Amino acid sequence: MNIRRARIEDLPGMQACNLRNLPENYSMKYYLYHCATWPSISYVAEDKGRIVGYILAKMEEETAETEQPHGHVTSISVLRSYRRLGIAKKLMLLSQESMASRRASHVALHVRKSNRAALSLYRDTLGFEVHDIEQKYYADGEDAYAMRLTLKHD
Amino acid sequence: MSKKTVAPKESNRYLSSKESSLFKELLSLYEAKQLKKGLKAADQILKKYPEHGETLCMKGLVLVHMGRREEGIELVRKGIRMDLTSHIVWHVFGLIQKGEKKYEDALKSYTQALRFDKENMNLLRDVAQLQTQLRLYDGLVETRYMLLRLRPTARQNWIALAVAYHLSGNLAEAMKVLVEYEKTLKNVPHYDVEHSETLLYHVRVLEELEQYPEALALLDVSAKDRAIVDKTAIMEIRARLLSKLRSAEAEHAWKVLIEHNPECYDYYKGYTSNQGLNLGLDENPSEALVILREFSTQLPKANVPRRLSLLLASNEEFEALAQPYLLSGLKKGIPSLFVDVKSLYVDPAKLRSLQDIAESIRKDTTPDPSSAPFSISTEPTTYLWSLYFLAQHYSYLSEYSKAMELLDLAIAHTPTLPELYTCRARTLKRAGDFFGASRAMEDARLLDGQDRFLNTKSAKYRMRAGLIDEASALLGLFTKKDAPSPGADLEEMQSLFYLLEEGDAHQRAGRLNLALKKYTAVQRVFDDYEDDQYDFHGYSLRKFTINVYLNMLDWEDHLRSHPSYIKAALAGSRIYVDVFDDPKLASNNVDGGGTDAEKKAKKKAKKAQKEKEDAAKKATAPTTSTNEDKGLDVPYKDDDPDGMKLLSAPEPLTLAAKLLQPLTTLAPNNIDVWISIYDVAIRRGKHLQAVQALARARALNPEHPELHVRIIHAKLSASIIPEPIPSPSGPVFAETLDKILPEDISLATFNSQYLQNHSTSAKAVLAAAQASRMLGTPLQEVEDLIFTALHDEVLLDIKTALEISGFLKKIKSSRVDELHKALDAKFIMSTAFKTLEELVKIREAVLTTNASSSNDRPDNDTTLVENETELGRVEAGGSA
Repeated sequence: MNIRRARIEDLPGMQACNLRNLPENYSMKYYLYHCATWPSISYVAEDKGRIVGYILAKMEEETAETEQPHGHVTSISVLRSYRRLGIAKKLMLLSQESMASRRASHVALHVRKSNRAALSLYRDTLGFEVHDIEQKYYADGEDAYAMRLTLKHD
Repeated sequence: MSKKTVAPKESNRYLSSKESSLFKELLSLYEAKQLKKGLKAADQILKKYPEHGETLCMKGLVLVHMGRREEGIELVRKGIRMDLTSHIVWHVFGLIQKGEKKYEDALKSYTQALRFDKENMNLLRDVAQLQTQLRLYDGLVETRYMLLRLRPTARQNWIALAVAYHLSGNLAEAMKVLVEYEKTLKNVPHYDVEHSETLLYHVRVLEELEQYPEALALLDVSAKDRAIVDKTAIMEIRARLLSKLRSAEAEHAWKVLIEHNPECYDYYKGYTSNQGLNLGLDENPSEALVILREFSTQLPKANVPRRLSLLLASNEEFEALAQPYLLSGLKKGIPSLFVDVKSLYVDPAKLRSLQDIAESIRKDTTPDPSSAPFSISTEPTTYLWSLYFLAQHYSYLSEYSKAMELLDLAIAHTPTLPELYTCRARTLKRAGDFFGASRAMEDARLLDGQDRFLNTKSAKYRMRAGLIDEASALLGLFTKKDAPSPGADLEEMQSLFYLLEEGDAHQRAGRLNLALKKYTAVQRVFDDYEDDQYDFHGYSLRKFTINVYLNMLDWEDHLRSHPSYIKAALAGSRIYVDVFDDPKLASNNVDGGGTDAEKKAKKKAKKAQKEKEDAAKKATAPTTSTNEDKGLDVPYKDDDPDGMKLLSAPEPLTLAAKLLQPLTTLAPNNIDVWISIYDVAIRRGKHLQAVQALARARALNPEHPELHVRIIHAKLSASIIPEPIPSPSGPVFAETLDKILPEDISLATFNSQYLQNHSTSAKAVLAAAQASRMLGTPLQEVEDLIFTALHDEVLLDIKTALEISGFLKKIKSSRVDELHKALDAKFIMSTAFKTLEELVKIREAVLTTNASSSNDRPDNDTTLVENETELGRVEAGGSA
């Protein structure tokens, strides 16, 4: 296993991993957009050349003057066959750290109300808090928890 | 569009002052994409000046944006004819061509436009993007230089010129520009992300110029000033530069990185290679093992040093490390443990040792039947995971019944763990029971219907069993509900996995049109990946994220080395070659050969298309036209839903050559590529290209069975060339071919020698049989030869057995049934060689099992029951 920053050549592997795991999918240009705009905050887990987990993240920088920029997790997932290795947690922490070095005040993400496993990872393991509930956030009509975690700066 | 200069009255570009200001308004309306108003303004001008070229072009452009493409392009063409020396008309034409992805044509139009307006910034910027897309880097330097000269105050223009020099291979000039640029900067605030990226790019240029001390100095000072904000990048580059400088600080720099992220393999590699060690490649790894042990102690949670130690260690040391490694993985129930260690199996001693350790853990944790179940002394989960590990292990070693027994035990112990069923499925698949495999995978899926991973797996296994509609029904549980079909959504989302699996399933079932359709869709995904970069030629420079942008260009240049592209190109090319050899293949498929669900999806797609067109028609009615901007890109329109046009294309070999072309440079070490290139070239009469491909294949593996068949084929083809090939190709062709197989060896001798040397390889037996058939050997002898592949001492796998069966069918042998019977006896678990009647029953059994347990499934999955009676394609899983 090799956990490292995502590179451009990882994007097809991330796309494939996402399509296998999650119902929210994106075309390549969206991945390219993330990587080309914020090259330092997306990470991958790679096993012998295959992407088995990833975090795809972005920054909200064009905020009002009173607000600080913050990070947003667009998508995170680990192949079922690579669970229980703590990969998601490691990916998240590395991404958060890179967001913090871009002056992000907090990191935000959305999670399906029904996705208990992810909810427990974000809340119990990583310390996220439910900030809001977004009605019918997902295409199939499910609500999302909007979660946040305040980032520390050194 | 840029401003217009006043034309003299006698010119056909002249507009009176009222229309002239209307035209200016038209330009700004277009910029703001106020399409409706723009159209109105254009019509107003044209009322008075119906042949005004620039207005005609602008109207045409607006119409294309509104989705009235053909009408718009007609007007643009007319407009150009009316005013050939206007930069506006050529600019408009260039934009249209760019939307059609005709980048070369677009560049020509832009160049024409620039002739009439040399310093137009908009034109120059677009030209730069086109030149980058086309990799015309010398021209790019000129354009970027011009832009900088015109507007030196725009920071982006400096960076853009540096990048242009960089791409053209002139790093020294790139650096000069960067230095000049940095001099112009004043009072850059801390934590400026753009400046940070610029400096990181500067460091990279210095590093590529091998000016390591300068690179390090710039990095360090920028880090200290907080001018570079990316801390991880600073640490990584620093360690790398220090290593290159052979600095004593390097070791510490790598260590800091490892402590920062102990799961990054690259850092350990950096650390050890800095010590002059080469992980896994050293004769004596003891030094590296000591280092890894230290890291393991220091970072008790880190997996990488432990796993690396397993690679390096051997004998007792290996065992001592492997035992706790396996035990801890089994205790934690890590599903990937087997996949993780499997690569160590290349060493037979390690394989043996891992098997012994796992068996012994299993023994130690097996519940004692005399004590109460789940007593404290036993470790039920460790036991379970050791069974799972060993099942994977024996399945991998082709000991299928042993693996199945272990899985039965494990499932009896814990019937709710999906992994046990996925392992059962994989074992059955390996043993050739594609139907049983599919059923087992579906059992896994039913244990967790919310998990798309299991859903994808089950769909894949259904496709492997030829159950394409049933696979599609499963995939549809997670695709967008408003898509014309699950496949349409997956194609739009660029699922290469889906396109290849379904293409292969169609190919196995002989529906070549639909297979080709999917392979072509893969090709299109890669075309889209390639087009995707276009906008970044502007965007990335505005964002100053140069390093990642340069990596993107490099990635794009190597895009088609991706395994999925190679697979699709080879499979597609083979179909084209088959259709060329036997054009009947195209007409046999004439009904489109779709499965029921596909026909349904097609109908739905047709309906959706019609609705779309109706809506478009409505939109074209002038009264209802809206402001909606449809852009300039040509929307993809599928006018060949069943792939029949593809399959009956007049020049299949040209299409095949186009698929293969990128692979000559991107996959030159893939022997299948050269063999396919040979197959296409020899049929196109490109003899020299054909034998050169053979020479390349031969350099990779002279004994490859597919190559053997081609060498004989080439010799035979050469002997019947009607006219001698003209010089210089002729002599080179003869010489190359002679080098591959000298004149004085007869083909029959060559073939029998090959067979003798490889008589225990089924693939070689097949190749020799194919070759002897080509050489005119009587059918009966060829058949006898083929049947030797069934002898006990010959290594035969199911895939080759299927190929052998396909060959016998192709030469119209009467012994196919006999072969299948023998193969069925040889591959006990396999369903691949069952008779049609047997398969009907097997298939029914699979589907009834699925249907009976469908209670847990979401409601919308009813297709299975529906399809149960559809048995038209039972042979799908059985014959290749």
